[in-house]
Amino acid sequence: MTPHDANLPPLFMPISSAPTSANRTGSWSSRQPRYEGKTAPCSVHCPCGEDIPHIEMLAARGEYTEAWRTILAENPLPGSCGRVCFHPCEGGCNRGEFDDPVAINALERFLDDRAGCGPLPADFLPLSTSGKRIAIAGSGPAGLAAAWFLARLGHECEIFESAPEPGGLLRYGIPAYRLPAAVLDREIGRITELGVRIRCSTPLEKELLANAASQYDALFIGCGNSRGIGLDLPGGEYALDGLSFLRAVRSGSALSGVDKYRLHDDPQGAAAPRTAAIIGGGNTAIDVARTLLRLGITPTILYRRRREEMPAFSHEIDSALAEGVHLIELSAPLAIRPAGKNLALTLQKMRITEPGADGRMRVLPVEGESREMTFSAVYAAIGARAEEPWHSMARAEGGLNFGHTLLLPVGAAGLPVLLGGDLVNQVESVADAIASGKEAAIALDLLFREGSAAIAAGIERCRIGGGHSLSMEIYQGGPRHSRSRRVVAFQDINRDYFTSSRPQRGGSLPHTTAAGSFAEVEAALEAGQALEQAGRCFNCGICNDCDNCRTFCPEAAVVLDGQNSGGSDRERRITYDYCKGCGVCLTECPRCAMVMEEVGS
Amino acid sequence: MKMLLEGSQACAEAVRLARVKVVSAYPITPQTHIVEELAKFCSEGSLDGRFLCVESEHSAMAAVIGAAAGGVRTFTASSSQGLALMHEMLHWAAGGRLPIVMAEVNRALGPGWNLWADQTDSLAQRDTGWIQLYCADGQEVLDTTLQAYRLAEAVNLPVMVILDAFFLSHTWEPVDLPDQEKVDRFLPPYSPRFCMNTADPQSLHGVAPIGVYMEMRRSMQLAMEAVPEHLARIEEEFATLFGRSYGPVESYLCDDADVILVTSGTAAGTARVAVDQLRNEGEKAGLLRIRMFRPFPVRSVRQVLKSVQKVAVLDRNCSFGAGGIFASELKSALHGGNPAPVYSYIAGLGGRDITVDTIRQCFSLTRAAARPDIESVWLGVKEELLK
Repeated sequence: MTPHDANLPPLFMPISSAPTSANRTGSWSSRQPRYEGKTAPCSVHCPCGEDIPHIEMLAARGEYTEAWRTILAENPLPGSCGRVCFHPCEGGCNRGEFDDPVAINALERFLDDRAGCGPLPADFLPLSTSGKRIAIAGSGPAGLAAAWFLARLGHECEIFESAPEPGGLLRYGIPAYRLPAAVLDREIGRITELGVRIRCSTPLEKELLANAASQYDALFIGCGNSRGIGLDLPGGEYALDGLSFLRAVRSGSALSGVDKYRLHDDPQGAAAPRTAAIIGGGNTAIDVARTLLRLGITPTILYRRRREEMPAFSHEIDSALAEGVHLIELSAPLAIRPAGKNLALTLQKMRITEPGADGRMRVLPVEGESREMTFSAVYAAIGARAEEPWHSMARAEGGLNFGHTLLLPVGAAGLPVLLGGDLVNQVESVADAIASGKEAAIALDLLFREGSAAIAAGIERCRIGGGHSLSMEIYQGGPRHSRSRRVVAFQDINRDYFTSSRPQRGGSLPHTTAAGSFAEVEAALEAGQALEQAGRCFNCGICNDCDNCRTFCPEAAVVLDGQNSGGSDRERRITYDYCKGCGVCLTECPRCAMVMEEVGS
Repeated sequence: MKMLLEGSQACAEAVRLARVKVVSAYPITPQTHIVEELAKFCSEGSLDGRFLCVESEHSAMAAVIGAAAGGVRTFTASSSQGLALMHEMLHWAAGGRLPIVMAEVNRALGPGWNLWADQTDSLAQRDTGWIQLYCADGQEVLDTTLQAYRLAEAVNLPVMVILDAFFLSHTWEPVDLPDQEKVDRFLPPYSPRFCMNTADPQSLHGVAPIGVYMEMRRSMQLAMEAVPEHLARIEEEFATLFGRSYGPVESYLCDDADVILVTSGTAAGTARVAVDQLRNEGEKAGLLRIRMFRPFPVRSVRQVLKSVQKVAVLDRNCSFGAGGIFASELKSALHGGNPAPVYSYIAGLGGRDITVDTIRQCFSLTRAAARPDIESVWLGVKEELLK
């Protein structure tokens, strides 16, 4: 009271020191909220099915090792994927509708750089062994992933690799400036730590296959398409194979490779300009061109359509052009003929017509418009096929297709054979190859435990959000198992809790420096950038301990257990004796990690 | 210091001078200028208070109820539909005996959609337990807002400071802006008679069973009955410091008047001009402006009207089926006192002008009729539109 206001009127009102807990307001309720994890769209888009909202939640707290282990649960190759994945996750990221997608791919690399150097976490070791032995053809991403997941399920794996070192396409198809060998070696090291045996320089010959049934319980073939397709045109035999060239460079035989490809045949010596044409528009064409550039050769990519129709990753094309690779669009090769020390390439001018079934524009020749260009060498990078014809011919034998793998009928081989990787996949990517390896592991585990009839339904149960990606954590009944398959949409996010931000990503080497060496071009995120990026994640559908539900509950019906535990096992529950079902908690949950249900439903 | 201020700004300046700690409001024309000004004060720091943005007027009132229960000085403002949406919370603020001050800008209720002056919105809240003070000019808005805090905190009832849409809220007038130091002397820091305290947890405003509810309501009525005495004392202090006072009612040339016009708000300024004209013409006309509507100042009204022959009441409002609300209240107040007939007129709804001629018409109709109509007489209505 203000001291000089005397003679105050009476003040008679209810004030109580007794708790209001006797009033069980929950009895009025016709509906009840419940904590329910949902599915984030990034996870559905990630072929490996990584638990991205959970990974970024941990990363944002600086728990890098935990975040990295969460990746490892679904993907044994985060260091490789963090560099070379085409990151469809970012395309599905809800944040993309708000400002920019979270830099999930760069964060994956950051986490592997930070945490991936240590030993294999002990809890990844299998608890028991099944006694089953699996032979795996190919140590590329499909074979490595199959071995990793099978070994973790307790099965013994042996990988057959034709090349002298393991890694397949990761080692021999992707240049070092995109994926340094040390990163790959570290990842393969973790897989062998599980007990996986890799037999290099040992191709899985047909003869070996004939005896496989006596030594193995199953065979997984994931040896991909490693043989480049030649140019079907007059003089096509003068063109060199792009993939073989990349393999030669990665094998350390770059100079001899160049010799072999007659680039030093010029009597003028190394001082004379040396040029190369690359036919194709995919990632291999780009990799060949950028590798040639680093060997001092001037590369020109010739593509029959336009830049926007090129199947190569857009940012790779950008880097190639910035480094000095030339691109000639709407030019199709007609013929190659020797012209002295060089090769003369006849090119047909093309024109755009209408969109084709795949949405890309079709092209037709412009009559009478062709020209000849001269190059020191011509490389074909128009696609690849299986090394051994029987690898892909096996496909024709029928069988059960699960999406990323194909189970062949037990025929001549006398044991179950599963095809995977690029031999089966619709999308030929590292991530899809890993997805194939995971699917193979789940399929074979189900086969051993429950028989072939159980495989399809078992795989269905592991699908993330009902999409194509599978989760090993769901297969093994981990916490992710209890999440709803409902995919969180942008509209489900309470955007009041987020502010727009477009932070800097990691930089890259200056283009002139990059073109002069095989040093990795893309820089990693700095710690501050990584924390900022991870903090931008909406954490769609998972509780990140923000405590809004408890803060805003008008009935104080949300109880926090383990409050003094230091944070790790803090858990909320709703006391339904007092919850009126008003729904404030759901509205204030920024990330759709709750659900409302009618009482008795 | 004299400044040229809009009525809305005069209100906001008073809130700043009162050192209010929590403001919560939802914008609605014509109240918007008040809360825009306060949001600016809070953000620039010239008012050391929190401005809470909310999603509705109901929440705005709920927010200031919570803050007031926490023992701080609070303010909100609304108008028309916004005030109507607050209705439930208005009862809560008064029943909770929380000294909240609200500016209420009189605006017509829809439909039809109308932004202009009309008192029906605030008068529809007359039974909620709020003190209601109707202002006539910018200076009075500022002064009344300062007095409102003293009054509210003395009797533990909330106060509505009421101003006409546009005629007052958006009109610029010279206003004397008092020194902070003087205001601080008039209005010291708020010291609540009760408040929430985390050191001694209590629940406020809980269940009141049959055995005590009536006593709660009686205590509110007693607080209302104490208002005139407290207002008089507060205004006396205010006059000592600032040289101005208003009273619950303001009478103009009433002592010898045979007909007195009773009205409120900005219409009173126009009425004064009409009364001056009539006096010049030899008529014994008088004006009674009702400033305090709740509690209704029965004693003051009876005193001013004790010997008048006829009373005319001009209402800018209507209780459908009963007529002008001030007229109804006035008849009730006079019952048992001066038996002079009360003539009820309604004009100016939805912002229509009340002119000098409108006022003069009230006087001439009142003089001409031997006794009043049973129903209120509507002035300035385009009857042809209703055929």
